[in-house]
Amino acid sequence: MSRFRSDLERRIAAWAAARQGADELPVRLRRRRLYILPTRAGLGFAAAVLGMLLAALNYGNGTALALAGILAGIALVAMHQCHRNLLELEIASAETTPAFAGGRGGLTLALLNEARIARLRVQVDVAGATRPAVVDLAPNTLARAELEVPAKRRGRLLLERVRISTTYPFGLFRAWTWLNASLAIVVFPQPRGARPLPAPQGIRHDSRRAGGGGEQDEWRGLRPFRDGDSPRQVAWKAYARGAPLLVKEYASSGTGQRLLDFGRLPGLDAEARLEQLARWIVDADALGERYGLVLPGREFGADRGTEHRRRALTALALHGLEAP
Amino acid sequence: MSARAAAPTPRPLAWTAAAFLGGVLLHLGRVPLWTVVAAFVCAAWSLAGHVRRLPLPGKTLRIAIALALIAAVLVIFRTLNGLEAGTALLTAMGSVKLLETHTRRDRYVVIAAALYLLLAAALDAQDLLFLPIYAAHAWLCAAALAVNAHPQSPLGGRAAARLAARSFLAALPLAVLVFLFFPRLAGSLWALPAPGRAATGLSDTLTPGAISELIESPEPAFRVWFDGALPPAAERYWRGPVLDEFDGATWSRPPPWRLGPPRSLAPLGRAYRYRLTLEPSAHRWAFALDTIASAPQTIRVRLTPDHVLVSARPLIEPVTYEAVSYPHARDADPLTARMRARDLILPRGRNPRTLALAHRLRTEAGGDAAFVEAALGFLRRGGFRYTLTPPRLAGDQVDELLFETRQGFCGHFASAFAALMRAGGVPARIVTGYLGGEWNPIGRYLLVRQSDAHAWVEVWLEGRGWTRVDPTAAIAPERLTHDLLEVLPSAASATERLLLEVHWLASIQLAWDAANAWWTSTVIDFDLSSQLALLGRLGLRAPGLTALAAVLALALCAWLAVSAWHYGKPPPARRPDRLALAYRRLCGKLARAGSVRESHEGPLAYADSIARRNPEIGRRVRPLLEEYAALRFGPAARAEALRVAEFQRAVARWRAPAVRSRSDRVPRERRKA
Repeated sequence: MSRFRSDLERRIAAWAAARQGADELPVRLRRRRLYILPTRAGLGFAAAVLGMLLAALNYGNGTALALAGILAGIALVAMHQCHRNLLELEIASAETTPAFAGGRGGLTLALLNEARIARLRVQVDVAGATRPAVVDLAPNTLARAELEVPAKRRGRLLLERVRISTTYPFGLFRAWTWLNASLAIVVFPQPRGARPLPAPQGIRHDSRRAGGGGEQDEWRGLRPFRDGDSPRQVAWKAYARGAPLLVKEYASSGTGQRLLDFGRLPGLDAEARLEQLARWIVDADALGERYGLVLPGREFGADRGTEHRRRALTALALHGLEAP
Repeated sequence: MSARAAAPTPRPLAWTAAAFLGGVLLHLGRVPLWTVVAAFVCAAWSLAGHVRRLPLPGKTLRIAIALALIAAVLVIFRTLNGLEAGTALLTAMGSVKLLETHTRRDRYVVIAAALYLLLAAALDAQDLLFLPIYAAHAWLCAAALAVNAHPQSPLGGRAAARLAARSFLAALPLAVLVFLFFPRLAGSLWALPAPGRAATGLSDTLTPGAISELIESPEPAFRVWFDGALPPAAERYWRGPVLDEFDGATWSRPPPWRLGPPRSLAPLGRAYRYRLTLEPSAHRWAFALDTIASAPQTIRVRLTPDHVLVSARPLIEPVTYEAVSYPHARDADPLTARMRARDLILPRGRNPRTLALAHRLRTEAGGDAAFVEAALGFLRRGGFRYTLTPPRLAGDQVDELLFETRQGFCGHFASAFAALMRAGGVPARIVTGYLGGEWNPIGRYLLVRQSDAHAWVEVWLEGRGWTRVDPTAAIAPERLTHDLLEVLPSAASATERLLLEVHWLASIQLAWDAANAWWTSTVIDFDLSSQLALLGRLGLRAPGLTALAAVLALALCAWLAVSAWHYGKPPPARRPDRLALAYRRLCGKLARAGSVRESHEGPLAYADSIARRNPEIGRRVRPLLEEYAALRFGPAARAEALRVAEFQRAVARWRAPAVRSRSDRVPRERRKA
């Protein structure tokens, strides 16, 4: 894409963003925010039809004139079909998957088609993604468009200008909309560093805050639902059978806890320290161990599980970039 | 790269090739056969290369093929300009392009070539018969376009074909509007190339055998709508080129054609008014019932002194004109000495027996008129036979016909008779044209075919002027009132004989010709003046280009509005999906419990807002809303069907706790499971 074109597109996108404001999901694609323009193939088609029109007029040939009319009509019908392919489509949710620096983060858009028509070849793309995602939605279905975005530096990778577009059916027009939800991929520091894990300290037993219920966990039983419990731990089957809301509880198999401290990494600069901490978190999590994290001005108590890991890594990712 | 991943579907290429070959086939018989063969070979090669991974020609070879094809077109047509050569060139170039269709763009170029082949076909021939074929090809191109735009679409080629068909039908009204209201040019922007192929029709020379070739052609020459009664069958002489130069074998009309003030014509009998639609030909003659009074004003033709309508350019498009003719009239202006001398010239030293016969008859008869009668009597009584397959004439052709073979067709007899007249000192000339015509009761017009071609003689008689004499009528008088095929059944081909004998077939043929006549006069002949007339019929006071443009714009807007309405808001599904239904049900329950979901709230935001308003309900419903969020928006790899079913049941079971609220209405519930 030429520089001029990308610049132009950015300006138009900025205009559109100012026009339609920030989006809160779910977003239903109304006429006001759907744009449509001919594609390059569409312009070529228009030129071809214009040539036919001229020839038909010059020869005074009605059949050729009608042929030009048919082709122009097909293109115009295609324009309406293209626009309809997105109209009233719902962007039900958008979710990002964090990544380690150097890896690939993800953006998943759930598109909901509540209409009686199929929406074919709906394309989702965002600047920086490896390749656009294309989904086909049968009538009355939900589909997920999954994009991969390479993550370079730790921090928040902003996904601006998520574009939902389509050139269906004839590729002569492209209808699109921009999603202006503040989406970002959290990019964790790259786990790097050779220092050994700090030694475990003391032994405690705490199962109440068990996070994800990893496989090595030991089944302990059910207990009543309390505020703040994750829905993933709710025993839905039991609930559906008529029992009250119960939560599945697991016992931890870990024995000690380690304190991972930003301040206790002499001889490394801040980024290297974050990378070493990330390494430790990944390792400790893989071992199923409990660990706490201490950052300047921020502290995480000892815990384990995927949720804890995510929060700790996110803190590393945003350290020094955003106020906690 | 694995072989499977590397081999993309051949569908786009196959459809592209089909569209292109369809375009080439439209020109079958119009372009040299080798271009058609080359197109098929290139398409097969390209597909084979794609599917079987056969090597395709490299760049050098492709350029070589392209240059060879251009050279071949140049050698055959001696130009790259003009419809025929252009079509052949487009075919050749499209074929070469098929060999390098790596990208979608390449295939688009080939489809564009297919569309322009269709355009060329439409420019060349707009017969009613071809219309469905053209429509089918336009549809094929649209389908190829759709397949190429989205080759990975889950609906395959069939869906693309259906889509193209529906789009075609939706576009049809626009085509009609454009046809009716797009302002036509009064002239042309650039010169129209004359068609290269020889169209059937009378030429400006006559050799005795020439007309028998025309007889084989059942093509229509023109159609005539009479305003009132038809002239009697024996008076349906349609006048064409008049030939007065004779070299002993061929009669011709030396260019430049003499133009001058038309000679005055004194009508003797009744007048016939008619409208005539001439089929396209490569010639400049516009035919009219003998003898036409004045040149029609609506087309650019001139009336020559010998009462022939001549156009400045070949009449390659159909033309329609209105005229008035007098079958009985007198060309009363005196014959100048120069004209008289010209119409008495005979090649020296040829046909001595004819000269002797003329001398004898002339001496016996005395006057010119009696001489003409005597010569006709000679033909009548001389044992002459009217046949389409006479023996070949050589040497002194007139002598041979009159005294040896005695068999011939109208051209032979007219030629011999005119020569005999000149030998006897009576100015004579040949008139070619058509005789007769078939009445079409469906379209109420007279159809004159090429097979009605005829030649007769005009002699100058003092006091009567140019007088028509038809020697064929002396030999085969039934030819005047009957179709040629009825007079000479052997001349008919098998199909024509079938038509003569099976009457319902003949009536189908009449109906088909009537449809063609309607097509030619209302569709092909539709031009700026027809458009303005249409506007007038629509009630516009001052029809003009501005009015035309305004009507076109209005019609376009109306069509666009209908199309936009038709392809507007997609209809909502009859039944939302199960999860949405369950969620809606839950939201309904919550709304009745006093917590209405704001439209901007997702499930989790909703849970928060419920918790703020009513912690008790919030506490109880939060797991359900979180589960909904997880089901709807969570990662894909989950056993969802099962969980959705569980969620549905959970929602069914859920009841808002009794709270102090104004809308304290506990909903009725059906208990499931």
